[in-house]
Parts: sequence; structure tokens; C-alpha cells
Amino acid sequence: MPVEAVTLADTTTKELPLLVLWLFKAGLIYGGLLGTAALMTLAERKVSAWIQYRIGPNRVGPWGLLQPLADGVKFIFKEEVVPDGANPLMFRLAPILSAVPAMLAIAVIPFAGEVKIGDWSFGTLSIANLDISVLYVGALTGLSVYGVILGGWSSNSKYSLLGGLRASAQMISYELTLLLAVLSVVLMNGSLDLRAIAADQASTGMWNAIVQPVAFVLFVIAMFAETNRHPFDFAECEPELVGGFHTEYSSMKFALFFLGEYCAMVVMACLATTFFLGGGALPFIAELAWYVELPVFCAKASSFLFLFLWVRWTLPRFRYDQLMTLGWQVMLPLALVNLFVTGAVVALGWHPLLMPLLAIAVLVPFALLFGRPRPRSESLTHEGAAG
Amino acid sequence: MVIVKRKELSFWERLYLPEVVRGLSVTMRAIFRRKITRQYPEEPLATNEVTRGQPRLAVNEDDTIRCVSCGLCEIACPAYAITIDGQETDRFIEREPERFDIDMLRCILCGFCEEACPKDAIFMSEELELADFSREALVYDIEKLKRPISALQRRSDYVYKLNDRWHSSSSTS
Amino acid sequence: MTTIQINGKDVEVDPKQPLIHALHTNGCDVPMYCYHPGLSPVGSCRICQVEVQQGEGPSRVVVSCRTPVADGMRVFPDSEKAHDVRRECLEFLLKNHPLDCPICDKAGECDLQDYSFAEGQGEGRSVEPRRKLEKRKSLGDVIVLDEERCILCSRCVRFMEEVPKTPQLTVADLGARSVIATFMDRPLTGKYQGNLADVCPVGALTLSAFRFQARVWNLTKTTGTCGECSRGCSVTTEVLRGGELKRFRPRYNADVNTWWMCDVGRFAIEEHSLEGRLVGALVRGSRELEPADPFDAIDRAADVFTAPGHPVVIASPWLTVEEGERLRDLAEALGSEVHFLSPPANDLADDLLHTGDPCPNRRGLEGLGFSPIDAEAALELLSGATSALICGERIGALLGEGLGELPEKLRLVVLDTMPLDVPAVRAELGVPSSIERTGTWINVDGHAGKLGIARSAPPGVAPLVQTLDDLVARLSTTATAGGER
Ligand code: SF4
Ligand code: SF4
Ligand code: SF4
Ligand code: FES
Repeated sequence: MPVEAVTLADTTTKELPLLVLWLFKAGLIYGGLLGTAALMTLAERKVSAWIQYRIGPNRVGPWGLLQPLADGVKFIFKEEVVPDGANPLMFRLAPILSAVPAMLAIAVIPFAGEVKIGDWSFGTLSIANLDISVLYVGALTGLSVYGVILGGWSSNSKYSLLGGLRASAQMISYELTLLLAVLSVVLMNGSLDLRAIAADQASTGMWNAIVQPVAFVLFVIAMFAETNRHPFDFAECEPELVGGFHTEYSSMKFALFFLGEYCAMVVMACLATTFFLGGGALPFIAELAWYVELPVFCAKASSFLFLFLWVRWTLPRFRYDQLMTLGWQVMLPLALVNLFVTGAVVALGWHPLLMPLLAIAVLVPFALLFGRPRPRSESLTHEGAAG
Repeated sequence: MVIVKRKELSFWERLYLPEVVRGLSVTMRAIFRRKITRQYPEEPLATNEVTRGQPRLAVNEDDTIRCVSCGLCEIACPAYAITIDGQETDRFIEREPERFDIDMLRCILCGFCEEACPKDAIFMSEELELADFSREALVYDIEKLKRPISALQRRSDYVYKLNDRWHSSSSTS
Repeated sequence: MTTIQINGKDVEVDPKQPLIHALHTNGCDVPMYCYHPGLSPVGSCRICQVEVQQGEGPSRVVVSCRTPVADGMRVFPDSEKAHDVRRECLEFLLKNHPLDCPICDKAGECDLQDYSFAEGQGEGRSVEPRRKLEKRKSLGDVIVLDEERCILCSRCVRFMEEVPKTPQLTVADLGARSVIATFMDRPLTGKYQGNLADVCPVGALTLSAFRFQARVWNLTKTTGTCGECSRGCSVTTEVLRGGELKRFRPRYNADVNTWWMCDVGRFAIEEHSLEGRLVGALVRGSRELEPADPFDAIDRAADVFTAPGHPVVIASPWLTVEEGERLRDLAEALGSEVHFLSPPANDLADDLLHTGDPCPNRRGLEGLGFSPIDAEAALELLSGATSALICGERIGALLGEGLGELPEKLRLVVLDTMPLDVPAVRAELGVPSSIERTGTWINVDGHAGKLGIARSAPPGVAPLVQTLDDLVARLSTTATAGGER
């Protein structure tokens, strides 16, 4: 398709050489990503403060805006400790492995459509125009578990190992749900290309959040688990595991883990925006210029980011068995049923708005089934008597 | 053994998501509440006569120390923060401290010393800040503890008032 | 034995003792100020009053310290009436008593304070000002008198009359103006003045040496034995905050010193000063004495003793029986005789307590086979020897200057409280002083006096018993090693 696009381009528009264009966009988008991640650390503390009737950091720069900078400086000057018995290579590799996949995934996010300034055309506002970007994103989210489990294993610490193990189990479990939810979206919009998915929603005006409510909710929940955020932050678990996989990390390595976590959050927010909120689209307006689309996209993504923080300071952490039960016994079946229903609707060519109705029709019996109190205590006494 | 019966969850509660939304609404409301943070160094803690800051030794107008080194505060101190050695003085009170150390790191600001003192010589000041670079520097000696009685006036008035109240209630009973 | 009834309970009591004694031995804590078991009763303070009924007659209130016990007496020390009377007495005693406790050295062990706290009223009813009298009156070097605090119990007067039998104090003037005084304000003399501070039930007579030295509740009190003469008075050793020795006080011991002790022992405080003490061990380096690990010093001492010849062994008279035994065994193994240094009798002897013999454990050491030897003879013995061990508290000081003149060929091992820097010394180890160790001294009459640990010895100083044991063990290993070779 890109080749086609170039040949079909209007002769009056001028273009930069491809390499320059890429470098330019990459600089812009990665700058934005890292800046956002840094600001997220501040936002995290600010939001937590607000929720707890406090003010939050306000000493460094106006409203504490330079706090991330100060934190960064602090991290750089901290002593780097490599614990005795740690696997030196893996120990150093882990933070990188945790940060890089999260950052790579941002490359395919379509922040806005075609950018045109005067005669100049810069292509869509994304670094890479990949036809199978959904697969690409799925692959990268799968990779991010390596950083955590390697970090946990190579530290030669019980807590870290437990944290790493838990995190890997959790991420694998929830990745299924996440991708199944995405698959429903893919079915709905008929493409593996993020741009096409966004464009499809924008043109029909029916955002997936409306036509795919089940997938939306599942995606949001799974995205918390995927990024190791509360209430699913089993990898870290300060009170239980003293920080979990990063217990032994200090200085910039520790900072890299955090950077990875925040980048993953930004990416997930962008993905959610693209998949379910129509990217940079506004309701009832078909075509938008890129300079409108970009802020709209950012606003939507920001609200997801805020949701991350908001939830973190609201909900307590799950118990590990609850997490697994929720993942395998509730969310996975729900995602499968939803996928099946979506497939049926698409195959039969029904109107997409039937989906929410169908979803409710399917959900209610399911909820009743799940919501029934399980005869747990009975079975316990039974076992007790048998023993 | 007590068997705690768990509250049976209703259907909506068991669905969890509505409850999550409820929780989120609680925290959302909290965001807009008035903040209670005090900007400490710029906005020092307000003190009043009830404030029990660090204990200080009262010095009379004529620059003499009130303490007679009777050792009652030393023995009353639950944290063993005080160490006193006495010496003879020509003044009417016959004895004064030669050494009067309070280990401020030990002091728990309980005010027992103030209460024990028969000579109104030690009062809980308004001074709350305590920082230095070594533990030794935080063992305050007599020179660091001396304060003119005027600086302790508010607290001493309060203590006298309390004593009077105790006095009248005990003698009427 | 006489049978009386206390609070309705029949008890057998000693007919020769006053009623207060019977009450005290039967668990009734009747207060007393003028009565002292070691002095004749006068019944002047009247705080000891109790209710007594004899026969069918009405009950009376009597001073229990001046009332002999009689068969069939019924005593009610805790009756309402007795308490009332005692409280009134107390109020009178406190009428002119200053509010001095914060600066009073007696506070904390003051009978008046204790009883006022238990039963006194919170406030005086009197509107007249208190008597103004002299508050810092020196009665000689030992005692300071505070006339305001005095309750005129006359214990001090009777003590001077009855115990050292040198009456010097009296109640001068009359009525409200009465004070304790010496004739023409002459300073007190005699070797038993310190006891005045103990007999005074309040803080009127205090020791000038102890004046404002410590609050008594801060003192750690340990039982011990005085080591300044061969009487070996039982004492309480009182130490401030685990370090400085602040006072010795006599401890009742019917066989030895009853309630008293002499001023020589009482003020032997300097002898136990921690200043200049030998901490750890010293060994002779190439030139000087250098601080060393105690084990190295013991090794060095063992080297000295394994050389051929019989070392001279001289012990300090402060050695306990237990230490003496160890030292004798060691000397036997080395083939030496044991001596202990016995300074000549001093002129402090009197017919009350002081024996004039400065060796507290003379009988104990002689019983172990130590022979007494004076400093001169000891030095002579030492200068003729090739190796020697001088051992025990203050031994260096007792041997004196002459130690410096000892020939350098003499290889001297010293176990002493104070460091000794003379050319002959090869190894030196610290020992605890007599308030830092346990043990037994046998006094002049054959009574055993126990030492107690009032404070821990300076760092690196092991009990002498242990040091000697280590030395013996070290010697036996060298001996076997030598045999094998
Ligand atoms: S305030 Fe309490 S803890 Fe502090 S010195 Fe006084 S008695 Fe001791
Ligand atoms: S209680 Fe008062 S007079 Fe007594 S030592 Fe303490 S400060 Fe001094
Ligand atoms: S003699 Fe006793 S009551 Fe009198 S001031 Fe001294 S301690 Fe207090
Ligand atoms: S003790 Fe009996 S009158 Fe003084």
C-alpha cells in the first residue's frame, strides 16, 4: 500500500526523503512518549496526593513540574548495586528488555491522519505504516514479560523471583483476554491495520466502545494487568514482596524499569484510544484535519492515563488466586463468547448496533451463572470431615 | 475462637464492576476536596500553651538558673534523657546544676520533667525543631537549654493555672 | 519471753527491748526519729506513739520507744487514735521544717520525708513564718549542720556520748530557739563523726564530702566489706551511674561493727578512683611497657616463670581467700614460698572498731600459709631473685619507691590495680579493686566478710582469680610441651 500511496500522490504535494521523514517523526513521537512517561511519574504523585487531600510535589519548578527532572538526576547519581550471585548479564539486560518493547510498540500508533502543511505532505502521523500493526503490537506486548521475569530471576533474591514468576503468569493469562478482545475489534472493523481500524470507526461514527462494550471493558481490565498496574501489580507488591522483581535494582536500571512501565501505560492508552475510541475522531464529524485529530487523540489517551492513576489510588490489590480466577474463569470465557457473537454478527451481516444488545443478552445469564454463590464452605467441611 | 461471618454480597456487589465505579467516584470526589497539606518550613506549626515542645531550663531575670539540680526530673523522665550533677553555689538556693544534659534524641516530649520540677525550673518550650549532624550535638547541655523565663512565659502561666486548678479541686474534696 | 498482743495477735517478744522493737520485728512499721537501736531511748520526738491497753483499763497512747513490754499488753499500732496522734506530732515537726527536699542530701532516704509522704498533710496550716536559722554551718571537716532541718531528736548528741564516748554535741538554747551545737562552736573531732550523718534521721547533719555529690536514688548500692583495717566492717558500697564510688555506709552486722564504721574506712573513696587505673595489660617491648592483649601478657608472664629458678611471690594484704588459694597453688607449682605484704600497724587503732592493722585479710592469708613480710624485707627478697610475681590490689604502692631500684635482671610480673613503670617489670595485668570483685576476707576475729561487685572493673580487667587460673593453665601447657620436647 505505501508504494501505491507514493505513486498516487498529488503531483503538487512535495515530500521529504523517506529517511529524513522517519527520523523526524521518530524524534517527535519518542520525544513525546518519553516526555509523557516522565510527566506520568509526576502525575502519579500528584493524583495520589489529590486523592489523599494532599498537594503533592510542588517544590521543584512551578507546580513541581521539574520534579521528574530532579528524580532523573537523583537516579543517575545513585549507586548502582549488582547483588552478589546475580547473573550479571541478565541482570543488566532485564531493564532494557522491559523498556524497549514498550517503546517499540508506539511506532505503529496512528496519532493523526495525513499531515499537510502548505504544499508539503508528511504522511500519516505515525512512525511506521504497518499493515499488520495489530499483530506487531501483540507480539511486543508478549515480549515485555521477559524484562520482568529476567529481572526477577537474575537478581538472586527470593522476593524478586516470586515477583517475576507471578508477573509472568499474570501477563500470559491476561494477554489472552487482551488479544481476544482486540480480535473482536479486528473482526468488527475488518483489518489488522491500526490506521484502518481507526479510520473505519471514524467513518461509520460507531466507535467500538459502543458497539463492542464487552470487548472494551475486557480490554481495559486486561490492560491494567498487562502493564502491571494496580489492582494487578503482582510483580511489585510492596507489602508482600518488597518491590518484587525490582527489589535488587537501583539507580538507572531501576529507572529503566519504571520508564518501561510508564511507556507501556502510554502505549496501552494509545491502543485503547485507537481500538475503541476511534483514534482522533470526533463524533458526527467525518473528516478532521490532523491538527484537530492530534489533540483529540491526545485528550482521549490522556483520559486513559488518568484512569490508570485513578484506579491505582482507589482499588486495593487482588489476591493472587482471585486474579487467576478472574482471568481464566471469567474474562477468558467472556472474551471467547464475545468473539463468537461478533463473528456471528459480522458473518450474518447484521447491523453492528445489534452487538451491544446481544452482549447484554449474553452477559446477563453469564453474570447470573458467575454471580451465584459457590458452595465453597460446604466443600471445605466435607474435606475436613473426610480428613 | 470467634467465627466472623462474612457479609453476604449482593448480586451487584458480586459483579464487582459497579462497586469499582462506586469506589472511583469516591476518590474522584476526594480530588476536589480542600487540601490539608501544611507547607512546613514556610508555614510553621502553630503552637499554643498546650504545645509540648522540647524542655528548656528557665533562667531568672537576674541571669541565675532556677534549677537546684534536685534530680526529680531525672528520675521522672521515662526515657532516661536527663543527666544531672549538682554543685554548691553561694546563692540562697545552695545548690545548682554543674551538668544538666538532656539527650534530645531520647526525650519523648512527655512533659514529666516539667510536672516533676518543684522549682518551676524546667518548662516545655515552643521549640519543636531538632536537627544536627551528630548524635553528640543533640545532647543539649545546660548552655543550650537555658532560656529566659520570658520566653517560657506562656507555658509557665498555663502550668500555674493547671496547678491551681488541681490544687483547688484536691483541697475541696 | 514476754507475750503481748499486737493488733489482736499474740506474739512472743524480747522483754529487754522496748515496745517499738517488738513492733518492728513483728511487721508493724511504726515511724521513729529519736529512737535508734544502737542508742539509749529518750522519747523526745514522739512520732512512735501507739495505742496500748493493759488489763481492763482504758487504752492509752504511749511512745513505744520508751515503753517496756509487759505480759498481756495489747498494742494497737494502727488504730485511728494512734494515727491521729502521730499525724499531729508530724505536723509539729514539720511546722518549722524547711521545704528543702530538692536540695537536701538526705532526700530519698529521709525518715521524715517518707513519713510525711505517707501520712502528712499536703499543706501547712500555720500562718507564721518558719524559723530562720543557719543553714550551712560547718561542724569541722566532716559534718555540715543545717539547723533549720534539725528536728532535735538528739540522736547525734547521744551517739557522741555513747558510742565513741567523746561527748561534743549538745542541744543549746531553749524552746523554739534550741539548736544542736558544739561547745563554743568548736569543730568536732574524732574518728566516728561520719556516723552522725547516718544517725540523723533528717538532713540536718550531712557529710561535707558527700555534699551535693549525688541524689541517693541514683546510687547503686551493693553490700561489701571495708578493707581499710582488719576489722572488716560490713558496708554498703554506693556507686553513681555504674562508675564513680560516692560513699561507703556501715551495714548492720551484729558480730563485727553493729551500726557503725570509722571515718578512715568511710572516706576511703580515693582508693577506688577509676583515674589512672591499669586498664588491660602491659608488656615490656624492646624498651618501654606497651599496651598488650591480656592473653599475650599472660604468655609473657608464663615465659618468665618457666625459666629455671623459683620466683619470689608477694601478695597484697587485700587478696581474698579465694585468690590466695589460687596464688598458693601457683606458687607451689613453681616451688616458691608465698608471702603477703604486711605494713606495720598504724596509730589509728582505738577500742571501738579500728584495729590499727591495715591488712583486711591477715587471718585469711595466714591461714593459707602466707607469711607476713614488711616492705623492706620484701624488697630485699626481690632484689636477690631472678623472677618474681607481685600480686593484688595496691601492691605496687605498698612496696613503694624501692621498686624502682630493683636490678634489671629481676624479671617482675605485676598484677595490680595501678600501672607500675619500673625497669624490672616484664608483664603487668590489671586487677579489680575490692569494690569490683567478689571474695572473702577473714577479719581479726575470724568473721568472714564478703566482697561484692559494686561496679564492673575497667575494660580488659579480668577477676584476679581468673587471671591466676589462666596463668596456671598456660604454665601447665608449657610444662607438658616442654616434657614432650
Ligand atoms: S519531656 Fe519527658 S522525656 Fe523529655 S526530658 Fe522531660 S521527662 Fe524526659
Ligand atoms: S526537677 Fe527542676 S529543680 Fe530539680 S533538677 Fe529538674 S529542673 Fe532542676
Ligand atoms: S531532712 Fe528530709 S524532709 Fe527535711 S528537707 Fe531533708 S529530705 Fe526533706
Ligand atoms: S522514736 Fe519514740 S519518741 Fe522518738
